Amino acid sequence: MKRITYLILVALLSLLSAPIWAQMPHDAIYMPRKTVCIAGMYGQSTWTEYWEGTLKRENLNIGRHTTRTAAIMPAIGVSNRVNLILNLPYIWTSTSAGNLMGQKGFQDLSAWLKIKAVEYKGLSVNPIIGGSIPVGNYVPDFLPMSIGMQARSVTGRLLLNYTHPHTGLYVTTHGSYIWRGTIRIDRDAYQADNRVYNTDEVSVPNAYDAAVRLGVVRRAWQTEVFAERFACVNGDNIRRNDMPFPTNKMQMTQVGWYGKIQPRNIGVNARVAYVTDGLNAGQSTSYMLGLLFQLNGK
Amino acid sequence: MKSSTRILLIAGLSVLGLSSVLTSCDKTIEEPQRVAYTPADVDAKAGSWKTYILTAPTDVTVAAPASTSSAAYLAELNDLKTKSASLTRQQQEAVVYWGAGAVYRWNEIARELAARYNVPPASNADGKYPIPDAANPLADPKFPFANPPYTARALAYLSVAQYDALVAAWHYKYAFKRTAPSKTDASVRVALPVSALPAYPSEDAVVATASYTILKAMFPGEGPFLDAKLAEHRESRLWAGMNVQSDLAAGADLGSQVGAKVMARARTDGMSASNNQTVTAAMIEAAKARGLADVWVSQESPARPPMLPNYGAVSLWNFDRATLVKLRPGPAPLPGSDQFKKELAELQAIQKNQTREQARIANFWADGAGSYTPPGHWARTAADAAHEARFSEIRMARTLALVSTALQDAGVCCWETKFYYYTPRPQQFGVKTSVGLPNFPSYTSGHSTFSGAAAAVLSYVFPERTNEFMAKAQEASVSRIYGMIHFRSDCESGLICGKNIGAYAVSRGKADGSGL
Repeated sequence: MKRITYLILVALLSLLSAPIWAQMPHDAIYMPRKTVCIAGMYGQSTWTEYWEGTLKRENLNIGRHTTRTAAIMPAIGVSNRVNLILNLPYIWTSTSAGNLMGQKGFQDLSAWLKIKAVEYKGLSVNPIIGGSIPVGNYVPDFLPMSIGMQARSVTGRLLLNYTHPHTGLYVTTHGSYIWRGTIRIDRDAYQADNRVYNTDEVSVPNAYDAAVRLGVVRRAWQTEVFAERFACVNGDNIRRNDMPFPTNKMQMTQVGWYGKIQPRNIGVNARVAYVTDGLNAGQSTSYMLGLLFQLNGK
Repeated sequence: MKSSTRILLIAGLSVLGLSSVLTSCDKTIEEPQRVAYTPADVDAKAGSWKTYILTAPTDVTVAAPASTSSAAYLAELNDLKTKSASLTRQQQEAVVYWGAGAVYRWNEIARELAARYNVPPASNADGKYPIPDAANPLADPKFPFANPPYTARALAYLSVAQYDALVAAWHYKYAFKRTAPSKTDASVRVALPVSALPAYPSEDAVVATASYTILKAMFPGEGPFLDAKLAEHRESRLWAGMNVQSDLAAGADLGSQVGAKVMARARTDGMSASNNQTVTAAMIEAAKARGLADVWVSQESPARPPMLPNYGAVSLWNFDRATLVKLRPGPAPLPGSDQFKKELAELQAIQKNQTREQARIANFWADGAGSYTPPGHWARTAADAAHEARFSEIRMARTLALVSTALQDAGVCCWETKFYYYTPRPQQFGVKTSVGLPNFPSYTSGHSTFSGAAAAVLSYVFPERTNEFMAKAQEASVSRIYGMIHFRSDCESGLICGKNIGAYAVSRGKADGSGL
């Protein structure tokens, strides 16, 4: 409690000075050395229709599926060109119909190291590596109610950005490859790829993601529209009228808007997104709201 | 400030480091490997063990083999030497795979098919559930819906066919006493252990063809898959240098004769009427007349007709209908009674605060949609135990026949009980589930009944492992409380009833002439 009060005090005091740089693992915005930005975010994602393989359907025994997320995400300026971002979400799931019990808990702690390797006349090249490890002992295969899949992951990402120096107009694009480990489930047999595996070990498919963002970033605000693609590189489809499983080949394309206002050290950000197309995934509509606190460590 | 930044830095770098170390690039899934063994006992006298469907081994015929000194046999031996001399990697893998045991592998294949077909049909645009069509097995919904009662029956027929066919095979093996090719000619290269068992007819071909006949009838959409398995199994015996062609041909002939006789029973056992939905109105009336106000109602949307309401009328293996009525447990606590309230409160408390261990147990035993079902789970347990005990093919088949017939008896008895009492599920009182809700009445628990029956039989076959099997059955039973889809009475009565059902299979085993 004391520490939080102290942090808020520091945050409020530092309102009086300094520009702001709240940032994400998928942008080219960097915290200066020795500054920390802590984002507290709440989000909700819902779907009523999903793709069972390629078949788009509803499920009257699920109704509307909702995932709520509260996350804390500190970003640290290790140097002006190297930032470290952490993220720890707490997740709840629920449905509006049927009798599947909602699940909740801390999911996976992730970390991202973002490096501005090249910068030339507004153009930057940013290699990013990310990793995640599950922190909660949640059930990974009670889908779609599980809060995560228990897979450790490593992400390699290359992000390119061009920001027009005078107007702040920017275009960002990135591509990533996500290695995901095998997981253990509570059962000692399961079906995947049209066969039975007589073990509790499950292979979660690797994936890639890619995105394009167009926006404007100014000293105190930022606005952008984006399109993102996430796709497992292999995996199987949800069987007809069966539940999903961690081996499924999940894919989705989503479009959305992101914005941020941070006149001083306290700011807010918001994001809305809508899945336009998918495979073995829900057609989600999601929003997120965040509160940003920047702490200058000088 | 500085120290908290440092903590965050260390945390972040640790996550990055740990995840990269722990996220293995190797995504191969390791499964337990089963390999060939020399049986602890070849059970030379098994040709006289009591069969299920055959009245005697001589119900089926096997032609006398050519002598091992005949020109025909020597030609077969030469052919065998060519086929087994050098193997491709794929052939070697097939030899190792089938070498683990014919009964063992065909049981595993049956479980895989059960899992593949164990998904309830989706509702259509009219809010109806189309019924799987045996004449069009690969259309949506696929035929069969291999739910627990269906799978219990498929596994029972499979094991009975394998067992009866092997009893007949043992009879003829010891009548003809044709030795294994490698014992006739030491220059035959063998890839698997060779026992003292006579080779004609081949027990592998017997099991393969009997199993194929049953499984093709039970899973009619799997013809090509089963054809490939059958062909590979037979070929693997040549690649391994274990059987000549005439051993295999005679085995295949015997296996299909027995398979046909066993399927003749299957076609008249009442299964075709098991989904007769017209019987439910009278069942509900009878349950209400006994004082049950809140009967079971489908919790699915749209409401789904209950799973196989007339399965309780399907033929039994180890006891008669009068015994079934005597085995049926007394009624469940009525909703509103103190006992009922107590059991509902137990489930509500779990819903509020389910421990991770309770969730683990519920998940481990769930065996729901997409799985090989509880009968498959126990068949696997039985096959693994028999494999670890180095049982001969025929003793393995006997074990699985005793267990699988007990499992189907348990299914029939439990379904009769469920639809006799027609009791509501906890979900009709607002309870959620962490494993998914089956679509049929609550009392008694199918998992508990299946598990009690299987554990009772396994404890007889493997007395030294009694505590282990009984503990597993107890855990399977209580898992349905932890998953919140059964009241405690459902599970406790089901487990006791299951053990009583298993006792009938045990009696049969004690009297089948095996002396085991």
